[in-house]
Amino acid sequence: MGSAALVIAFPVAIYGMAASLFGAIRHKDEFVRSAGYAVYLNFFLVTAAAVSLLHAFIARDFSLQYVYEYSSRSLSGFYTISAFWAGQEGSLLLWMWLLAFFSALVVFTNRGRYRDLMPWVIHILMLNGVFFLLLLNFVTNPFLAIPGQSPGDGYGLNPLLQNPGMVYHPPALFIGYVGLAIPFAFAMASLLAGRRDDAWITAIRRWTIFSWFFLGAGILLGAQWAYVELGWGGYWSWDPVENASLMPWLTVTAFLHSVIIQKKKGMLKFWNLFLVIITYFLVIFGTFITRSGVISSVHAFGKSSLGTFFLVFMTLIATAGCAVVWRRRPLLLPETNLKSLSGKESGFILNNFIMTLMMFTVLWGTVLPVVSEITTGTKVAVGAGFYNHIIGPLAIVLLILMGVCPHLDWGGTTVRNMLRRFILPGFAVLAGGGLAWGVGVRAPISILLIAFSAFVVASIIEESINSAISNGKNTGKPIARALRRVMAGGRRRYGGYLIHIGIVVIFLGLSGATLNREAIATLYPGESMKVGQYTLRYEKMGWIPSRDRLAVKTRLKVYRKGKTLGYLTPERRFYGGREKQPTSEVAILGNWKEDLYVALTGYDRDERAGFRVLVEPMVSWLWAGGYIIALGTMLVLFPGGIPTRVLRERKVAR
Amino acid sequence: MAIIFGAMGYLLWSGMEKSSVFYLTLEELDARKTQLSGDGIRLAGLVKEGSVHGSVLDGGIIFTMTDGVRTMEVRYSGQIPDTFKAGASVVIEGVYRGKPVFEATALLAKCPSKYEPAGVIGSPIRGVTGDVP
Repeated sequence: MGSAALVIAFPVAIYGMAASLFGAIRHKDEFVRSAGYAVYLNFFLVTAAAVSLLHAFIARDFSLQYVYEYSSRSLSGFYTISAFWAGQEGSLLLWMWLLAFFSALVVFTNRGRYRDLMPWVIHILMLNGVFFLLLLNFVTNPFLAIPGQSPGDGYGLNPLLQNPGMVYHPPALFIGYVGLAIPFAFAMASLLAGRRDDAWITAIRRWTIFSWFFLGAGILLGAQWAYVELGWGGYWSWDPVENASLMPWLTVTAFLHSVIIQKKKGMLKFWNLFLVIITYFLVIFGTFITRSGVISSVHAFGKSSLGTFFLVFMTLIATAGCAVVWRRRPLLLPETNLKSLSGKESGFILNNFIMTLMMFTVLWGTVLPVVSEITTGTKVAVGAGFYNHIIGPLAIVLLILMGVCPHLDWGGTTVRNMLRRFILPGFAVLAGGGLAWGVGVRAPISILLIAFSAFVVASIIEESINSAISNGKNTGKPIARALRRVMAGGRRRYGGYLIHIGIVVIFLGLSGATLNREAIATLYPGESMKVGQYTLRYEKMGWIPSRDRLAVKTRLKVYRKGKTLGYLTPERRFYGGREKQPTSEVAILGNWKEDLYVALTGYDRDERAGFRVLVEPMVSWLWAGGYIIALGTMLVLFPGGIPTRVLRERKVAR
Repeated sequence: MAIIFGAMGYLLWSGMEKSSVFYLTLEELDARKTQLSGDGIRLAGLVKEGSVHGSVLDGGIIFTMTDGVRTMEVRYSGQIPDTFKAGASVVIEGVYRGKPVFEATALLAKCPSKYEPAGVIGSPIRGVTGDVP
């Protein structure tokens, strides 16, 4: 059933890849159309395979190696489903399914449009499909059976994965990753078809924003999982796998900005294509790092053959992409040139520059162990300090740009206008900095972060009000009405501003880390400990068995300034099954201002308990910022409301 | 343009000076012992069976790291990662001072099982003392 579907899907994808290529080169419509059908068939087959695996999990079919390794009879339904993507083979199947689905969606929504681009788009998407189906069929097949007798029960899912965050985080990330194949395909198609215009950018606008959003959401969800589940109190550790997801996010964000320049001024064509290619390259590179273990393990280059496949694929993408861009570079000459340094254009260009520097920094730190080993024979690694040291100042520059750019005019801004527009935001900087100092922030980076966050917010408010005023003057309407009109008419822009505010909120959340407080204590029941303004009194410990685990649970009463705030119950859990993995369940008491984070680090028969308590300011701002970004993204994706948008797009594309 | 690259280069350089460490196996540490005094290192190895003593409740643990041939005593007083146990592969971080017992400032442990739950957790679990990043 499932494996059969995968086996058939492989030649179907090959056909799709070949037919579209032939149809593109020889301009034979029938071939292209048949390639389109191959895309639909491929989707149907991969879906059948995915459903088959899902069914195997739900039906507890432990004769399949993969189902055996990642589930057990005692695993709840919710996590049994998530076990689908818990391991290498299943997560690759999820990736392939998303690719098949998105490819079919792209073919369907663009039928009758972009007739010269679509053959190439299908070709490139199916080329990707062939790669992943190759892996799924011959290297990491999820449908391998265990030889001999089928086991009665499965090994069980690692308890660290039995957490809601780990259920949503991989699919969100994968939607982002796979979605980024589409801008790549259209960009290459535009070059290969010899088009001079920006049609490809219009075609991929919503796909790119959609993928960017899910990639970012996936990153935030991963951070939240780490914070809540791993128990060390942090949410980001500049680990190679984390970095792997951040790098493409940085380049897509840069791309989302620089396309605006290309649409408005016809500049940066070459750069935009380069960004799209490097984004997709980083996506594959990222999944290569994650799956091959090349960087996190010591001296394990080429540990599994999977790594080699990805390496080859990455090289193919990089060389083919660069080769095509180079050959078609006459198509990419700018229509206008940069006239002034004080215009919006320069702001965007600087934004791109900074984001690229950030990406490069993360890349450097991530590959350093491998590169240093190859060049000097010794592995050198860098810690979080390296990244924070560099990304911090760069983030400040980005913040400044977020506040300055809205006030710049296309083509150059007069000094007079600059002075006029930056009075209020200028005050905001001082106010923000002063507020930070007053609250007790002393780290220079954090003070600057807070000061310029105020700058951005003030700047956006001022820009909105200025627009409303001039609109009101022109139409004779009162300001409030004009403001609403301006916002409704410029949903894309205000959606963008809202996203910026979300980013600012996240930055503020990050800045709280410099004010973290920590306390460690070993207590007998009845004893207390203090952290900052909090007092925690350890009340009791209990041993609590349940269906699949034994929990050692402690109860703490939390006070602040004499007032009882509530109870916290950090635990250590011991799961049965073969894994016998202990986990720490932290307890968090949080509000908008700060989180009180408690981990049970150890215990003994005398009911002594070790606690590690952290007071982490502003952590909830990280997640709040994520929601704000989601809101802004909705506005940007659907500026005219959904039906109008689609109709307008249909009229434009030909 | 040049200023920005210069500034960037400086940031990269100083960042690396501040927090780069050598990532070594026990064998390599043996070979370079004399050159390393005062440098930050990361060490990878396995936790020797039966070598874990002490408790986080009493100020920390001492255990022996091994690669099958060589051993190294390690003292660590921070939060212990969930995956740490005898036989687990661990990475420790600290400053090498040539003492018989290595004072680790960070401890990361990986699952001792054969297959990584790859694609989802590639990163080892951490326990850190000192500043939370």
